[in-house]
Amino acid sequence: MAILIFGHPVSGIYKNFQSGQIRLYATYSLIFFVCGLFVACHQAEDTGIKIQWADKRATGISIASPLLKTVPADSLNQLLSVRLAGKETAIAGTISLTGDVAIFEPLIPFTRGLRYDVWLRNQRLSEMTIPTLSSGDNPKLLAIYPSQDSLPDNLLKIYLHFSRPMREGQSLNYVSLIKNKADTLPGVFLDLQPELWNADRTILTLWLDPGRIKRDLLPNKRLGAPLQAGSQYQLVVSSAWPDQQGATLAKPTTKSFLAVQRDSLSPAPAQWALAPPASGSVQPLEVAFGEALDYSLLAETLHVFNETGKPVSGSWQIGDNEKLSLFKPDAAWQKGQYRLRIEGRLEDLAGNNLNRPFDRDITRKELQKKSRSFVELAFSVY
Amino acid sequence: MKRIYSVLAVGFAGLLLLATTTRSPKNQYGLVIGTPAIKSINALTFGPDGILFIGDGKSATVFAIDTKDASAVEKPGQVDVKNIDQKIAALLGTEVKNITIQDIAVNPKSKNVYCAVQHSDGTPVLLKVEGDKLTPVSLKEVPFSTLALTNAPAEDAKDGRGESLRIASISDMGFADGKLLVSGLSNQEFGSTFRSIPFPFTSAQDQASLEIYHAAHGRYETMAPIKTFTTTEIKGKKYLLASYTCTPLVLFPLDELKAGSHVKGRTVAEMGSGNQPLDMVILKKGSDSFLMMANSSRPVFKVKYKNIEAYQGSLTTPVEENFATAGVDFVSLPLTNVIQLDKLDDSRMVLLQRRSNGNLDLWTSSERYL
Repeated sequence: MAILIFGHPVSGIYKNFQSGQIRLYATYSLIFFVCGLFVACHQAEDTGIKIQWADKRATGISIASPLLKTVPADSLNQLLSVRLAGKETAIAGTISLTGDVAIFEPLIPFTRGLRYDVWLRNQRLSEMTIPTLSSGDNPKLLAIYPSQDSLPDNLLKIYLHFSRPMREGQSLNYVSLIKNKADTLPGVFLDLQPELWNADRTILTLWLDPGRIKRDLLPNKRLGAPLQAGSQYQLVVSSAWPDQQGATLAKPTTKSFLAVQRDSLSPAPAQWALAPPASGSVQPLEVAFGEALDYSLLAETLHVFNETGKPVSGSWQIGDNEKLSLFKPDAAWQKGQYRLRIEGRLEDLAGNNLNRPFDRDITRKELQKKSRSFVELAFSVY
Repeated sequence: MKRIYSVLAVGFAGLLLLATTTRSPKNQYGLVIGTPAIKSINALTFGPDGILFIGDGKSATVFAIDTKDASAVEKPGQVDVKNIDQKIAALLGTEVKNITIQDIAVNPKSKNVYCAVQHSDGTPVLLKVEGDKLTPVSLKEVPFSTLALTNAPAEDAKDGRGESLRIASISDMGFADGKLLVSGLSNQEFGSTFRSIPFPFTSAQDQASLEIYHAAHGRYETMAPIKTFTTTEIKGKKYLLASYTCTPLVLFPLDELKAGSHVKGRTVAEMGSGNQPLDMVILKKGSDSFLMMANSSRPVFKVKYKNIEAYQGSLTTPVEENFATAGVDFVSLPLTNVIQLDKLDDSRMVLLQRRSNGNLDLWTSSERYL
C-alpha cells in the first residue's frame, strides 16, 4: 500500500528531494571551492607584508593593504598593531604611512623563528614568520689571547675575539677552565656585570679572580690561586654560546696551556731588544720584549718619536705570541735619532706594569716609588 | 614724535632680543633637542626636575635627558608589575631569554619607575612603569646633553693605530650636590675609576682614586672596583657610601674626591665575602634612617643609620673566618634574590625580585621592612 500525501507517493517525493539536495550540495561546494581558491590565491599574492632587513636583522616590515586607506592617518597608530602570535600586547615601535603601505619598525628587531600577526582594528590582516638563520651561518671564535701555550700561574686576563657581535651577560655559562683534562674549576673567573665587551661586542675581557691571585688575600688563602705551576689546563669555550642573532658558535674551542712559575716582576724595557731599520726603507722597527705582554695594552701603549719630538705615524703589529711588536712607518725612515716611548701602564700577562707589580705588599716602603707615566728607549736609524 | 619713534625702536629691538632669546635651543641645564646616540644603558639615575642620567658604557658617555616627567607626586601609589620580564618581552615582540633588565630608577618627582632593558643584540630600550603599565620612552628628538668620560690622559696620544682596545663599563651612577657621580671599570687596569661631574655638563670631570682597607683580604686594596654606592650626610658632612665585591661598606668624604686625589676610605662594615652588592638606598621611618642593600648571594641587608654614624673606627684587621662579618651590625631581611632596588619615597622602595616560584616581579615594599 502506498502512502499518499497530497496525491503524490511519498517515496517519489523522497527520491526527488534526495537528488535535488545532492545537486545543491555539489553546486554549493563548487562555489565554496572556487571562492576558497580565489581567497587562497588572493592571500598568496597579497599577504602584503615585506620584511626589511639590516645586518641580517629584521628591523621592520612594510604592510601593503587597501584596507589601510580606510583608516585616518592620524589614528593609524591606535588601529594598526603588530603582535606576537597569540598575544594581545601591541609591540612597541613606530608606524609611518605612504599611500596604502604602512611601515612598522619595532624598538628592537623582530626575533628569528617567531611568528607575528598584523592587526587592523580587531581584524587580523595577516601573519608572518621571521625566518631562522640558515644553518652554517655561525659566528666564530677568531682568537684567544694570550696566545702562548705556557702562561704564568698568576695570569690575570684572557681576551676572546669573535667574528660577530655576541650575546653578553652570560659568558661564565660558556667559558670553563679544566685542570689536567679532568676537573672543571669553579669560581676561577671574576663575575662582572656588566661584562667587559668592546662597543661592537666582538671582544670580551675575562679576569681571573684577582682576589685569588693576590697572595695573602682571603680568597687566595682559602681557595688558593686559580692556577698552579706545573699543571696542564684547558680553556674551553662552548659551542652553545649564542651571538646577538641567536646563532651559536660553529664549534667548541679548546686552548691548552701549561701553568708555569709566577711572574712577579715588572716588564723591564731596559732589557728589550730593538732592531732598528735602515734609513730610506719602510722596514718595520722590531721590538722584542723577552716575555709576552698584554695584548690589549700592547696595541696602544707604544709610540715612536723622531729627533724633534714629533710622533712618527705608522702602524703597530703584534707578533710572536705577544713577545714582540713591529712598527711599520707610513713614510720611509730618515737618518737620525728616535725614541720609543712606552706608557707606564703597559702590563705583562700577570698584570705587572712598568711602575709596580700587580701583587705588592704596600706596607713595604721601598716599593712606593713615584710612578712614571712613560719610559723611553733611544734608537738610531743609519 | 622723534622720541616716540626712538622709544618704539628700542621697544622693537627689545622684542627682537626677547624673541631670539626664547628661540635659543638651550634650556636652563644646557640641554639641546636632538637624538642622543645611546649605544647601551648600563646605569640610570635621576637629577633635578625629571632629568634622567643615562650611563652608556659602550660609548663611555653619560647623557642627561629631560623626561618632562616632573610634576611632583607626594603620595605615590604602589608599583606592582607581576612577571615584568614576560610583559617586557611581549611589548618588545620577543622572548624573555632575549632581554635583560639593566637598571631601574625611580623619578623622585613623579615617582614613576624607569627601567633600562637590553635586547640580546645590544639594542637598549628605556621603559616607564606607571602602576602596572609599561610604556616605551622615546629617545628621539628629546632635550639632552652629553659628556664623554675621559680615559687615562696618555691615551689621547693616538698615532693612527685605529680603534682602541680599551673597554670601559659603568657600574653605578648617583646624583648629589649638583654633581653626577659615576663609578666604572676598564678592561686594561683593574681598578675603580670614580668620577664626579658637575651638572649642567661642562668639560670638567674630576677623577679620583679611592683606597679602601679590605678586611676580608687583610691588605690595603687601592684597586678594587666599586659595585654600588649612594651618598649620605653624617653630622653635617657629606659622604660617599660605597660597597665593593666581597662586601665591605666604605665611607669617603665627598669634599675630598677631587681631580687626581687619592682618598683613603673608612671601612665601617664587612658584610661577608663570596657576595656582590647590587644596589643601595637610604630609607626613613620616623627619626630613624636605614641603609638597605641588595646582594647577589645574600638577602637584602638593613643597616641602622645611627650605627654607621656612631661607628667611629675603621676596620683594619682581617676578618679571620670565611664569609664572616665585622664592624657595624646589620639585619638580613626576608627578601632574597632582589636584583634591583630604588627608593620610591622616604619609607618605601621599589624592588625587582626573582620570587621563589621563579617569577620576576617589580613591586613596592611597605614600612614593615623598616
